[in-house]
Amino acid sequence: MHRSESRIGVAMISPWLVGFCVLTLFPFGASLYWSFCRYDLLSEPAWVGLDNYRRLAGELAEGGSFARALANTAYYALASVTLSVVLGITLASSLAWKVRGRAFYRTLCFLPTVVPTVAAAVLWLWLLDPQLGLINGFLQKLNLPAQGWFQSTSAAGWPPAWPGDHAGRVFGSKDGLVLMSLWGVGNLLVIYLAALSDIPKTLYEAAELDGAGRTRQFWHVTLPMLTPVVFFNVVMGLIQSVQAFTQIYLVSDGQGDPAGSTLTLSLHLFLTAFKDLDMGYASAMAWVLFVLVTLVTAWLFRTSRHWVHV
Amino acid sequence: MNADRTPRWAHFWLAMVTILMVSPLAWMVLTSLKGPDQLAAAPYSWWPSPWRWQNYADAVATIPFLRYLLNSILLCLGSVAGTLLSCSVVAYGFSRLRWPGRDLLFGALIATMLLPWQVTMVPRFLVIRELGLYDSLWALVLPKFFAEAFYVFLLRQFFLTVPQEMIDAARVDGCSELGVLWRVMLPLARPALATVALLETIAAWNDYGGPLLYLNDPERFPLAYGLEQFVSAHSSQMHLLMAAAVLFTLPMVLLFVLAQRVFVRGIATTGLKG
Repeated sequence: MHRSESRIGVAMISPWLVGFCVLTLFPFGASLYWSFCRYDLLSEPAWVGLDNYRRLAGELAEGGSFARALANTAYYALASVTLSVVLGITLASSLAWKVRGRAFYRTLCFLPTVVPTVAAAVLWLWLLDPQLGLINGFLQKLNLPAQGWFQSTSAAGWPPAWPGDHAGRVFGSKDGLVLMSLWGVGNLLVIYLAALSDIPKTLYEAAELDGAGRTRQFWHVTLPMLTPVVFFNVVMGLIQSVQAFTQIYLVSDGQGDPAGSTLTLSLHLFLTAFKDLDMGYASAMAWVLFVLVTLVTAWLFRTSRHWVHV
Repeated sequence: MNADRTPRWAHFWLAMVTILMVSPLAWMVLTSLKGPDQLAAAPYSWWPSPWRWQNYADAVATIPFLRYLLNSILLCLGSVAGTLLSCSVVAYGFSRLRWPGRDLLFGALIATMLLPWQVTMVPRFLVIRELGLYDSLWALVLPKFFAEAFYVFLLRQFFLTVPQEMIDAARVDGCSELGVLWRVMLPLARPALATVALLETIAAWNDYGGPLLYLNDPERFPLAYGLEQFVSAHSSQMHLLMAAAVLFTLPMVLLFVLAQRVFVRGIATTGLKG
């Protein structure tokens, strides 16, 4: 009986096991091995020791493309994650109000999330067009300076050149990408709304008896009760923004345009592997990315004790 | 005492926010109906005049739209079939059967979810190429038959909630394990299966990186990739581009309207779109 249960159990998970070995475990080991090799697909991988990693360190030291990609990735991840937390909480709190037509507002705010990334990228390329775009037209109506968006290197170019190339031009290509990611905040809204509705009413009643106004209720009841979701939002947002590829590839002409301002780690890695056919160097980069993401995630988990309410 | 904390300006604020969120979509639809002379006309007008439905016919005619659409549909169907088939069997093996090493392997499965795709990208590409799948839709569909970790996790969570008595009763009645899965678990797990199917449909429809890596022959491009080709070829024809983008987005909006509850449940249980 037990032996047959074991056999059936292993047989049932075998599709995953085969896929795991062939499509994950072997590639995982191979990319680690190749990160110590020179490999261009045409000839056999040749062991070069730490050369690829030394090259990465060299680029980091003198501000080469790898340093640039690292800075761009950090900028994009930090800006989009931070703003998504702020926007997520603000919007969800508003959508939680008991007003008529609430379901209607919620549906419409979620709608942009179902737009496929390719379509969204095409759309935002035009919305943020410096000459014909809707957003710059809107800014000009408000007497604000037009922004360069996807046609200008933005604030955190390498080396940093903030504030902008000329007066009032603050927002560039990475900010356009951040804006695009914020437009798809709908998924987060659903999670924040669920968390908001789980907050016990009694907490607010108690706060009110203690004389806390709406603002203090938000800071002392709502926000602490939302911290587990904020934590989830930050961890997942970070992992996703580091791995983001499609929209970045599309708005940057597939090469990090303009002037490398949208060359993120994931794009740089892709181009190194499939345009330069430098598989060894790309693998080393992938491993640095992997270690960095793991370290940051571990750090987030460690610090979460101090600010996540359980 | 103010029972609910709704301010008086709630409607004004919500309407403003909603308009901001929806206006890009409205702009996309309205632009797709404008004539080329209207695109850069000053002063700017939101409304097309006249409404050029012709743009849609033109956009479809400019790219092999039906070919791309067919590829996209094949991709979605194949991916969903592979995912449902493999993930439900694997999830059952990980949840309702006891065998040595199960929890260790399940830990490995969870770990793969945290692995950035870039780490395995290069060798995986070579494996797929060695299997002779390069430049075939199978390069994108076949991996789905090997059970994606995230969906296995989701279905397993659901399977664990089914009472043991129901499984035992079926076994006593002479059901094999596959029979238990088919007759007991899957009918109960319909909501979870719907969520998985929905998430995978969206993922397959939207996938751009996969075709970019594995496809070369335009005959095999799905819409997501074909649309981009259109962008590079006709970047000045914004109205046609928006028409194509609307056509590409429309099925997802319809899916959302029809299955809104599945959508919201999917996100609430998983926290992600996919």
